[in-house]
Amino acid sequence: MPFTHLVAGIVFAAGETVDKPTGFFGALATGAEWFIGLFNEGGGVFKSLVIGIVPTLIVLLTAVNALIRMIGPEKIDKLGEMAARPGIQWYPVRYLVLPVLSVFFLTNPMAYTMGRFLPERYKPAFYDSAVSYVHPITGIFPHANPGELFVYLGIAHGIQKLGLGLGDLAVRYLLVGMVVILLRGIITELITARMLAKRSTQEEAAA
Amino acid sequence: MSSTTASSGMGGFNKLLVTVGKSVGGVVGALYQSGRDAVDTVIRNILPFMAFISVLIGIILKTGLGDWLAHLITPLAGNLVGLLAISIFCAIPVLSPVLGPGAVIAQVVGTLLGLNFAKGDIAPQYALPALFAINPQVGCDFIPVGLALGEAEPETVEVGVPAVLISRLITGPLSVVIAWVASFGLYSSN
Repeated sequence: MPFTHLVAGIVFAAGETVDKPTGFFGALATGAEWFIGLFNEGGGVFKSLVIGIVPTLIVLLTAVNALIRMIGPEKIDKLGEMAARPGIQWYPVRYLVLPVLSVFFLTNPMAYTMGRFLPERYKPAFYDSAVSYVHPITGIFPHANPGELFVYLGIAHGIQKLGLGLGDLAVRYLLVGMVVILLRGIITELITARMLAKRSTQEEAAA
Repeated sequence: MSSTTASSGMGGFNKLLVTVGKSVGGVVGALYQSGRDAVDTVIRNILPFMAFISVLIGIILKTGLGDWLAHLITPLAGNLVGLLAISIFCAIPVLSPVLGPGAVIAQVVGTLLGLNFAKGDIAPQYALPALFAINPQVGCDFIPVGLALGEAEPETVEVGVPAVLISRLITGPLSVVIAWVASFGLYSSN
């Protein structure tokens, strides 16, 4: 009856506390446990990330990608032409509506191709505006930049662990992002204009 | 006569069938292809980054490095002045293109801050300004490529790169202040 003997042995061992291994091999064993512990901890984190985030993300990505496919991203080309117009009333179109829709429909990095509709002097500002929106949008629409989700998710995961809802944070991130990209576009456009002016006077002086 | 009306009625019915079939097929096809894209994205972009983040967090939590980092980060990230300091540092024109690539730095710092939020070291209403404070360098590594995608002339790139980098020094801290103002009432306990 080697089997019952084995079971008895296990029960016996469980009842008694075993001394910690000592000496050289003891140190090795402790080291090995610590080493595996590092990755057990990491595995736990990975499991919580995969179970907590991936299923919803796949469904959401599928739905939004299908929506974009059915609407057709080329529809926003007309908006690009409108955004090229001068005048103060077109600032919100150029640095708010166009970047937001480009990032949503074309995603990172193809969103920056919408700059082709704009005159040269607006292009750096539009890029600045569009690229600054690729993270605020991920709170609600992760399809726009799936490779860089953890700027938001890293912090959001911490907030979630406190038992707090993420909706408020995600919406505020989205809205504050809009205000920031509008300001960023306007300020970068001013700086670009000054630098272009400086450059042309320098060229005149040289000539 | 009756046969012709019957056949034209038949033709209309066929047309309807074809239209319905085509549109249903289109929708199903779009959904299926989107599902394929979604799974592809998860496997190629999202899971690898999760693995990377998990290794990092596992080591940080287990070695006690996290407590040490918390002492370093908490005094900075838990108040407006500290967050402004982080944003100005990240926006320094020489540093911002270095910190930019793949947003890896921003993502790692975001995850580290997340650990501190989870432990309650930093009040949760600072989550919003922190999101902007760690990210004024966004896209600074990518300006020439981004402008090229927008079919910009080389002269525009020459002016555009410094223009964006200098702009970030102003708009980086500005975004933190705006986010800080907008965070009033966020997760506040009354």
